[in-house]
Amino acid sequence: MTELASPTQHPTGWSREFIGEITATEPVMGDSVLVTFTSPPQLAASCRAGQFVELLCRTPQSSDPLLRRPFSVYATNPARQELTILVRPFGRGSAWLVEQPVGAILDVLGPLGNTFTVAPKSKNLLMVAGGVGAAPLLMLANEAVAKGMNVTYLLGAMNAGGLLAPGHLPGEVEYIVATIDGSAGRQGFVTDLVPEYVQWADQVFACGPEPMFRSLRREVLANRFAAKPTVQMSVERTMACGVGACLGCMVETRRGMRTSCVEGPVFEMDELAW
Amino acid sequence: MVTEEQQSGGQWVPDFTVDLAPDNPRELVLRNPVIPASGCFGYGIEYSGIVDVQRLGAFVSKGITPAPRSGNPMPRITETPSGMLNAIGLQNPGIRGFIRKYPPIWESWRVPAIVNISAEAVEDYATMARMLDDVPGVAALEVNISCPNISAGGYCFGWDPVMSSEVTRAVREATTLPVIVKLSPGAVDVIEIAQAVEDAGADAVSLINTLVGMSIDTRARKPVLANNTGGLSGPAVKPVAVRMVYQVAQAVRIPVIGMGGISGLADALEFFMAGASAIQVGTAVFSEPGMLIRLIDDLGEWLRANRIASLSDIVGVANPRFHSTTVRHSEIVAEMVGQ
Repeated sequence: MTELASPTQHPTGWSREFIGEITATEPVMGDSVLVTFTSPPQLAASCRAGQFVELLCRTPQSSDPLLRRPFSVYATNPARQELTILVRPFGRGSAWLVEQPVGAILDVLGPLGNTFTVAPKSKNLLMVAGGVGAAPLLMLANEAVAKGMNVTYLLGAMNAGGLLAPGHLPGEVEYIVATIDGSAGRQGFVTDLVPEYVQWADQVFACGPEPMFRSLRREVLANRFAAKPTVQMSVERTMACGVGACLGCMVETRRGMRTSCVEGPVFEMDELAW
Repeated sequence: MVTEEQQSGGQWVPDFTVDLAPDNPRELVLRNPVIPASGCFGYGIEYSGIVDVQRLGAFVSKGITPAPRSGNPMPRITETPSGMLNAIGLQNPGIRGFIRKYPPIWESWRVPAIVNISAEAVEDYATMARMLDDVPGVAALEVNISCPNISAGGYCFGWDPVMSSEVTRAVREATTLPVIVKLSPGAVDVIEIAQAVEDAGADAVSLINTLVGMSIDTRARKPVLANNTGGLSGPAVKPVAVRMVYQVAQAVRIPVIGMGGISGLADALEFFMAGASAIQVGTAVFSEPGMLIRLIDDLGEWLRANRIASLSDIVGVANPRFHSTTVRHSEIVAEMVGQ
């Protein structure tokens, strides 16, 4: 079997397939882990909120599980040349990944995909996150706060233990939570919190499971005037190549099938076929 | 034999080149035998920021059809033990859109581009071959015969020697480009198909295409893929592929391109030793795109370390009846069923 790839340069620049070394792991949100690993400096610097990386979740000698797993980027640190992702162990790949210690070597492909787009005129941003959907929105919240925008960040989880600790968010962010069992914040779904913010928000950004998207859409359509605010959703599909070659991760839009890996993962809610 | 030229300058360079269409005046000479497979490498440009595409032996485009196709509903892919199932449904811009968009980009590339074509009628294969015949940037055709033949009630072309032969002959007559016919492992007798397409004028055969499979979502109580069935690929299919390459390499004289679950040097060597002159890498590109270039380097290292002057010296070494002129079809089959 071949060795792991070392970071390589080729005629078009740094390859987006690179070797990262885990520099830190931090348990968060109950069973999840923040995994930080090294990356080539250009890639850490160019990565924007909404983009993702695909990781091989096995040793290179193994052929199982075969395919890479996509993870939204939670944070970048260009100075330290690091990327951080949020991993919840719900399948064979992610279960392997959360077990990897500091110093372990990862085969990474990325950053991949498009980004959230904040309109220049937007002042008030509403973020709606379910579970590990917290990751790309946390990065977006950091970018928006740095530009002086107002951010309200809504997060839903099963219980208090599944929430992100407030210290992980910038202090300027209004952070409001909902839990199914009522152990923290409002009892119920995160989307129950949405109606009171719809008219305040210039833009809404969301990441979470499909049922959350459907509820969010219902609440936004019921509460907005005309087409404001617009909603950008980071969707998740089973993915293979991550670069638009296999056409396995398609999303149905009003203008036909789109790849979630290159033309997504972020789509305008009004563009998606519901 | 290691020649003096190869030894000169201290650094001995093994001979990697392979001609996949030796009987065709337009020939198909590759600088090395490593080729990303159809459907797994897009149109080459998708991977240009990840691997050095120009170093590859060649690459095969996604399957092109006469008319544009939007493909199958989702889900289209699912992972299986050491493999995956796919039912993409040949999503592509159609032959006209394809010719406008991609060959002009490839024209300036050093790496030969092989176009994979699919159709549901013999005439449509011929029409596409004719349209591609003199398109700059197109080095060869790979004919996907794992498609339903509409005029034969949807029976797969590639499962029937007469239908496989008709498609091959029609393409052969429509173009002077090198023609590779990609064989389906679903055929009752792959040897018979291989010999039929060789007789009909194929310059080379490639195999195996995916095996038809299914996964069921036990919670939803229905197949995982919206198409119900999908093509199985990845390391899980490798032993089947090696066996079929071994069989076909005995039965035909034209070059055999082997594929099915290749993930690195050790796998590739199995295919060469079974009788493949070149190999294609499919599913492994999704997981380890960088492996394509590593494989070229590893193969060179291996030949050097084993003092083998030319790759052709190991092609078929594990196959005593490789390119045999006397072997009969019944003998190959008899060996396979253990008689």
